[in-house]
Amino acid sequence: MWKYEKRLQYPINIKKKDPKMAKIILTQYGGANSELAAALRYLNQRYTMPDNRGKALLTDIGTEELAHIEMICTMVYQLTKDATPEELKAAGLAGNYSEHGLDVYPSNADGVPFTVTYFSSTGDVLANLSEDMAAEQKARAVYENLIDLATDPDVIGPLLWLRQREIVHFNRFKELYEYYEKQFNNPIQPRGEE
Amino acid sequence: MNDYDYLLNQYNTANSFRDFNVLAQNGLLPNMNTGMNQSNMNMVNANIQLYTPQEAYEKGNLFSNLYQQYMNYKPAVLRATNERERMFLEFSRMAFAAHELNLYLDNYPDNSSMLRLFHDYSNRASALMEEYQKKYGPIVVSSSGVNIPFQWVNSTWPWEGEI
Repeated sequence: MWKYEKRLQYPINIKKKDPKMAKIILTQYGGANSELAAALRYLNQRYTMPDNRGKALLTDIGTEELAHIEMICTMVYQLTKDATPEELKAAGLAGNYSEHGLDVYPSNADGVPFTVTYFSSTGDVLANLSEDMAAEQKARAVYENLIDLATDPDVIGPLLWLRQREIVHFNRFKELYEYYEKQFNNPIQPRGEE
Repeated sequence: MNDYDYLLNQYNTANSFRDFNVLAQNGLLPNMNTGMNQSNMNMVNANIQLYTPQEAYEKGNLFSNLYQQYMNYKPAVLRATNERERMFLEFSRMAFAAHELNLYLDNYPDNSSMLRLFHDYSNRASALMEEYQKKYGPIVVSSSGVNIPFQWVNSTWPWEGEI
């Protein structure tokens, strides 16, 4: 089960309305390399990890991704807070407004709604962890693209922070991948001893 | 003799990051190697350098060997403007450092020095959270008091931009 903490993992306080920036940051909520895809991917793959290390790491990183979803939604919420329909239209969010008003709805920067086909689950631990590593790298790249497009320090700060989390997670998945790979390629070592 | 208190002292006086190598060489991390998993986690723990909780929280990374700056962007400097923010920031830093060690320990569950540090940060985070909640309202619902209206409902929600 989960328990909610009424706080952000890292503070976000955007003072300047910017629906254009909201439109592209939204992609990290509902796009292919989004935090939502990450959370669902790891929390879905964790059940069949071959030992307790994998179960722990995927649970804990998957849980952190839920906190990152909240950070991204907070950014989109603050960037569009009190925006008028005219302002949203000018930012290319007329379609989004017609379907969702000012609600934060998981879709990519072009308004394509989230789909679970953004992640896979193969039943093969090495394939799954390779995907997890790739997902972290792709999300890092997306954060860099977003930082390139951002101008407000209140926006850039949290994006830099989230980018750094992708780097840490990538390395943890890589360590786990290498650990399992070594076990599977060395029959002397018993599998899944915990 | 337990060197735990002595270690704490070391942590507090380190400037920018803690060099585990130096601590280990000086015999301040006596179980550094004996506590390592002997099986397969082929990791040189002695080379890991940790940032202080404050620096780690600003960077989004406790592990200096993993930190990668993007172009010439520096992490935001987080400044508290009042006592409430100061306490909140202090708690957030400690909780983040503990979380980073949690992820590390998932992969290296037999590393006793990291485990000790996890306990230290984790306990400090709990104490700071408790202190904050007493003064400023609940972070977890269980700390909501007996007075009406239900505090959990009325304290600020995180996306509203105030800590």
